[in-house]
Amino acid sequence: MSAATALAPALPPRRSRLRLIVALLAPIALINAIGFLAPVLNLARMSFYEVEPTGAMREVYTLATWAKMVTDSFYAELIVNSVSVSLGITLLTLVCSYPIALYLHRSTGTWKTILLVLVISPLLTSAVVRTYGWIAILSDSGLVNNALGALGLPPQRMMFNLTGVTIGLTEILMPYMILALLAGFGRLDPRIEEAASTLGAPPFTIFRRIILPLTLPGIALGCLLCFVLAVSSFITPKLLGGGRVFLLATEIYDQAIVTLNWPLASTLSILVLVIFGGALVLYTRALRAIL
Amino acid sequence: MTDQSTAPGQGTDGTAGEGFLSIRGLTKRYAGFTAVDNFDLEVPKGELVAFLGPSGCGKTTSLRMIAGLVPATAGRIVVGGQDLTTVETHRRDMGLVFQSYALFPHMSIARNVAFGLEMRKVPKDEIARRVKEAIALVHLTGKEEHKPAQLSGGQQQRVALARALVIRPSILLLDEPLSNLDAKLRDEMRNEIRDIQKSLGITAIFVTHDQGEALTMCDKVVVMNEGRLEQVGTPVDLYERPKTAFVASFVGRTNRLKAVAKDGTAEFAGQRVLAPAGLSGPVQVMIRPHRIALSPSTGGEGVTGTIARAIFSGDILQYDVDVGGQIVSVELATRGGETVLAPGTQVSLSWRPQDIFVYGAAA
Amino acid sequence: MNLSTKLTIAALLMSGVSTQVLAQQQTVTVMAYAGLFQERYTKAVVEPFMKANPGIKVEYFPMPNSAQMLGTLRAQKAAPQADVVIMDVSVSKAATDEKLFNKIDEKVSKNVADLYPNARIADVDGVAVTFDNLVMLYNGDTVKDAPKSWMDLAKPEYKGKVAIPGMPDIQGLSLVLIMDKARGGTDYLQNVDKGITALGEIAPNVQTWEPKPEVYPVIISGQAVIGAGWNARAQVNADTSGGKLKTVLPQEGSVFQINTINYVANGPGKDAGAKFIDYALSPEAQKAFTESMFYAPTNAKAQISEAAIARTAVKSMDKVIPVDWIALAKVRDPIMEQWRRKVIPLSR
Repeated sequence: MSAATALAPALPPRRSRLRLIVALLAPIALINAIGFLAPVLNLARMSFYEVEPTGAMREVYTLATWAKMVTDSFYAELIVNSVSVSLGITLLTLVCSYPIALYLHRSTGTWKTILLVLVISPLLTSAVVRTYGWIAILSDSGLVNNALGALGLPPQRMMFNLTGVTIGLTEILMPYMILALLAGFGRLDPRIEEAASTLGAPPFTIFRRIILPLTLPGIALGCLLCFVLAVSSFITPKLLGGGRVFLLATEIYDQAIVTLNWPLASTLSILVLVIFGGALVLYTRALRAIL
Repeated sequence: MTDQSTAPGQGTDGTAGEGFLSIRGLTKRYAGFTAVDNFDLEVPKGELVAFLGPSGCGKTTSLRMIAGLVPATAGRIVVGGQDLTTVETHRRDMGLVFQSYALFPHMSIARNVAFGLEMRKVPKDEIARRVKEAIALVHLTGKEEHKPAQLSGGQQQRVALARALVIRPSILLLDEPLSNLDAKLRDEMRNEIRDIQKSLGITAIFVTHDQGEALTMCDKVVVMNEGRLEQVGTPVDLYERPKTAFVASFVGRTNRLKAVAKDGTAEFAGQRVLAPAGLSGPVQVMIRPHRIALSPSTGGEGVTGTIARAIFSGDILQYDVDVGGQIVSVELATRGGETVLAPGTQVSLSWRPQDIFVYGAAA
Repeated sequence: MNLSTKLTIAALLMSGVSTQVLAQQQTVTVMAYAGLFQERYTKAVVEPFMKANPGIKVEYFPMPNSAQMLGTLRAQKAAPQADVVIMDVSVSKAATDEKLFNKIDEKVSKNVADLYPNARIADVDGVAVTFDNLVMLYNGDTVKDAPKSWMDLAKPEYKGKVAIPGMPDIQGLSLVLIMDKARGGTDYLQNVDKGITALGEIAPNVQTWEPKPEVYPVIISGQAVIGAGWNARAQVNADTSGGKLKTVLPQEGSVFQINTINYVANGPGKDAGAKFIDYALSPEAQKAFTESMFYAPTNAKAQISEAAIARTAVKSMDKVIPVDWIALAKVRDPIMEQWRRKVIPLSR
């Protein structure tokens, strides 16, 4: 036995260590089981129930709902639409947030605190209020169109359509992306950037070869977070979409509240969970490749 | 020996304004304080020059201004006849070795070293060849595909050196590169850096706060204090002929005594020593402990004092002698068989005139 | 008798009295719409009921929509917390099929005999308690001449200014049915192509198919200037907006939306629930609520003031197109698909 292991603190034997781990994990596992697993399993079970056109549900199992979802091209379109819109919003959020996060990372002292507060403060307001704010800004008679009119430019349709949803959701997601990026900026070191500069790298090359690769973990985390939030967002698309934007989340809401087809709403919910699972797998793979 | 130390504005080889690296009036002012004040220096090609001084003396700031990482408030930086003062860092063709190594953590050693060559658009096969050479030069062959985190501190420092050298820069800048290494490694690296620099004949500037490092490695040493250049010279110059009290006390050990000067002489403990003309009033007298001869007092001429303390430390026998109220430390190399004089003994001290320095009193 | 004895006797008497009162105190939990409906219904029906029945306390449990009421009933099936539920007729049918209700007939309330024929719906355990109808809304400040036809919505001057709650909301569906009949459609259960085409003509003008929070404030504010909504709410909003919001029943007619009152099986209030239902269906309660919120009454014997009647569809029953909402539920999905394929793409 080497000197190092002789000096290491004695660990309890394997079996009692295992018991310790189980004991420590038990509370959170229990909460998870009650608060998350049970409702999701219930949802999965409900997706197999029979339902009448009126909405009456019978606790009889059938594959009809799943079959409908798989064969009806509307749902395939819906899935493609939801995923692609969410990916687009995630990318837009990344592009808008990265410069802000980088600037924040490089600030110091009181100014940095002020900026951080400014970034986080939107999160203190409800998403609904912020969404209404966007209606006031982007609608046909809103701030932007009034300004355009004053300048003699033609009005733009930016609200109650996909454009409005994209802009509104991007802004709502930016604080999350900025915080995730900041968390991933830990690997950055001004000395490394200086070294690259002395070796002949102009500023943009430093960004491309040094800063960007080092911040990839933060980017991956931010994208995962925002993608998941975008796919599950239904308030903003409902308020800003004008009934024209059909996404998984809005469809789930409509089926649950208006059409009263709970098995179908459950089916679509499980689908959203599957999409999340897929995103998580992609994220883990990406992280392994980066680090 | 001719005095090779120079006044500001002159090259280290005595010629005015003809160094390969020419720094004129370099100044850096921040709100509230001046980090570097009117720094002049000429460095001939192929020389290894140290910037030596305590923390905050402006040596690193000067180095970073030469590299372009800090914009100068005033002054000019000329390399090989080309004025680089306003040129951006990435166009200055210099290699910089950082104290913290600053290796790119997401790239392998080989790619780290290749980076500068890629920036210079060197063809791929030539890059491969030169990278291999550079890595061999620092004795790291076999570790090309490792990532920096997998190497020890000393190995990382060698990679940083290889990375800076492979581009064959006109000037190599080293910012306290050995400060993060342990003593044994430091000695090793000192010799390696020195050997590589000489074999490549590259002009280099080495910033350090360790006077031992500066003296043993470098051709010339620039001593800096509070933003100002105190003295430029060879290690011998600085040691034997310090121009200011700061240099005398920073380089090598010395006694510091108070005296009063008048009309070209300074008097202390009944002894008169020559003082530079123009100095009058309180002065500092400095003399190195091992440049003093000591013998039991015979009551004759010379400075007399009483032994206050005798310290035997194996290599050295140190006597603290009370001379007119001030303590003068005397160091004698032990020879074996000598009697250690007891405290209270009267002794005579003597020294050569060139070993005693007189400066104006400290502010 | 000294003071302390008197006080003791008084205390005993009071406790005796209060336990007597407690013994008779019953509670009825009524689950119904929140917001304006809650405000007006409480004043017009709940409070008078409690005054007339001092031993019964009514707890109003507000819900944003019928679907959530159904969800709550489902969740509480083993131990219901509600006694009476007011919800849309199609949701009532679903709840009936799931055996959540007791049937309301003359045995539960004598007033049932006096209800209009279309207030009693086959295979639904509840009965209609209010009728509402679709009306056209417009901003009185911007639109000077009262529109006469639903197709005025397609007029070019209203481009980008139309707000209609679209499908799957019943209002959008209602408009499809109305225009289908107006253009010669004969059986809406077979196809509603003509209605879809008409909506397609209106589509380019539509600013939003989901005015939030409701269509009324959107038109009052001028963000949109013309659209469709429910009569009862429209009337109330017309009053509160100081005349900015105006309503009109266009020439093509309208359809009824039916709110039913339902008797929850095994509710905690037991027969107190039946008492409340009886009161809610009485001419007195029907009069009070109609005059307050302008829903059309379901009890034929209700004596409504002329002014109130004019603001409901009661006087224009000939313009109301009968709709079997239960049967319609079976073909709602194909209609929704046509809406998505043919109407939405034409709208911006």
